[in-house]
Amino acid sequence: MNGAVNRPKLRLQGVTKAFVAPRTGHRTLALADVSLDIDQGEFVCIVGPSGCGKSTILNIVAGLDAPTAGIVEKDGAPIAGPGPDRGVMFQDYALYPWQTVQGNIGFGLNYGAPGKSMSQAERDARVAEFVKLVSLTGSESKYPHQLSGGMRQRVALARLLANGPDILLLDEPLGALDAQTRIILQAELLRIWGETAPREQRKTTVFITHDIEEAVFLADRVVVMSSHPGRVRDILTIDLPRPRDESIRADPRFGHFADEIWRLIRDQALQAIA
Amino acid sequence: MSATPSASAALKMDQATTDVGGGAAQTGDRARSGRGAASPGGVPGWLARIDFTPLRSFAILLLVWQGVAVWTASPIQLPTPLRVGAAFLDLAAEGEITEHALVSVTRLVVSLAIAVVLAVPLGFLMGLNRKIDAFVDPLIELLRPISGIAWIPLALFIFGIGDVLPVFIMVYVAFFALLLNTISGVRSVDPKLIAAARTMGVARPMILAKVVAPAALPAIVVGFRLAFAGAWAAIVAAELIGAPNGLGFAIEWYRELLMSPKVFAFILVIAVIGYVCDLGLRALQRRLTPWVDEAGHSS
Ligand SMILES: Nc1ncnc2c1ncn2[C@@H]1O[C@H](COP(=O)(O)OP(=O)(O)OP(=O)(O)O)[C@@H](O)[C@H]1O
Ligand SMILES: [Mg+2]
Repeated sequence: MNGAVNRPKLRLQGVTKAFVAPRTGHRTLALADVSLDIDQGEFVCIVGPSGCGKSTILNIVAGLDAPTAGIVEKDGAPIAGPGPDRGVMFQDYALYPWQTVQGNIGFGLNYGAPGKSMSQAERDARVAEFVKLVSLTGSESKYPHQLSGGMRQRVALARLLANGPDILLLDEPLGALDAQTRIILQAELLRIWGETAPREQRKTTVFITHDIEEAVFLADRVVVMSSHPGRVRDILTIDLPRPRDESIRADPRFGHFADEIWRLIRDQALQAIA
Repeated sequence: MSATPSASAALKMDQATTDVGGGAAQTGDRARSGRGAASPGGVPGWLARIDFTPLRSFAILLLVWQGVAVWTASPIQLPTPLRVGAAFLDLAAEGEITEHALVSVTRLVVSLAIAVVLAVPLGFLMGLNRKIDAFVDPLIELLRPISGIAWIPLALFIFGIGDVLPVFIMVYVAFFALLLNTISGVRSVDPKLIAAARTMGVARPMILAKVVAPAALPAIVVGFRLAFAGAWAAIVAAELIGAPNGLGFAIEWYRELLMSPKVFAFILVIAVIGYVCDLGLRALQRRLTPWVDEAGHSS
């Protein structure tokens, strides 16, 4: 009993991932010895320079990619493949070009596991709810190619949230949005995650971002990665009180965390430019 | 000597038609300048939206045709547009055009239906399954370079003259266009889209129906247009030799009777049906795959 409580929701242990180009045989070491335990209900942000393996971690946890070496577990059982318990929002959205906004948001509900026990009316109502959440009312019948980049991103976010998975895996979910929309959706995300609920009821979340302040605002812990090969450089616990609102950004500790993260990735960023 | 009066008659007629042609060109000019002058004032919206470019290019074709016909001055080798028009009206009045066109179009529709039923499922199997592809592909590559027309003599032995031969030739031609486009459509599916469906717990048959099939549809529709064009081009050759009726048969029939204008009239019917059907297929393409933009890109 006690063991089950202490067991992490997600565990990566010594995870290494090498990509081998099929023709040339050229090997890219995307991840080297990455270890990370994530507890039930935890909100973890991953930051790090481009190409350090953030998306690779997400794909491995999603079960879409297998690690070259190391252990990946969920609730103590190895992750063997993708499943509706782990919802993914992809960096390039993966929207269906032949589906409208509505069709994309309702894709999992209509054809997948999340909507199995729902009536069509319930699914439609849920789609409408999430269309509204991401302020896409009026664009329901548009196709992805008729949307702006930010609108597409919101469709992808709405699709993930409408499916209601236990674990949320988000790859730069707000990166294409304007500052105002971004701040509004950050708050919404914390609400859906379950900020006011007890930890057992929260959705375990892995959130990749390039925005340091976003990471500090949202996260329980921030994982800072370094590249070539991708490693965990440091993990910061953001013990700011919850529920958080905009005023937290003025808290001196908020600035302290942001500075600390910036200091950790600055050297690499400067190296990358030089 | 007997050729002289008829030739001069033809010449007179040609002069007459030259006048008509010139008149038409003038009207065209007037219409153009008229449009130019009126456009700021306000042409009715529906009129302004019609693209007249095809009409203008058809007019030029007629002019060139007329010019060459006058120059060759041989009504058998190249009758003038006016004589062809007259022959067309004759044939239409006697119902011959509708009769033969109906026969050919029915054969076309049947052939395309058979080709779709054969090629699209096979294309999915080959696109999805490497083993089936490795097995079937060599046969396809071997047969594909052989023009459908090359099979006509053999098909005559097997099927004789009748409906089956032209249908067989057209199915053969349409099959490859559809098959190859279906395969490439199925293979063009973005793996990310399948991965996304798997993370949403979408079962395999549903992934096939809701991800692979729609992703392949634009290529299949393009394949269908190519299949139509190829089959329609082949039907004449097939009916020329292997059928007791149809547009190809009619062309051969009037050729033997040395009635060039009627031969040309049937050629025109083939052209017009092909053109109109392609316009229809393009409209269908826009309806079936509305997410594909004008340039053919889908996101
Ligand atoms: N399918 C693949 N085949 C070969 N190499 C890959 C593949 N996917 C990723 N890589 C390589 O692995 C490394 C990490 O890639 P990844 O996409 O995880 O980076 P990232 O941290 O998400 O970067 P970004 O912030 O730019 O999205 C890169 O060097 C990349 O070139
Ligand atoms: Mg990435």
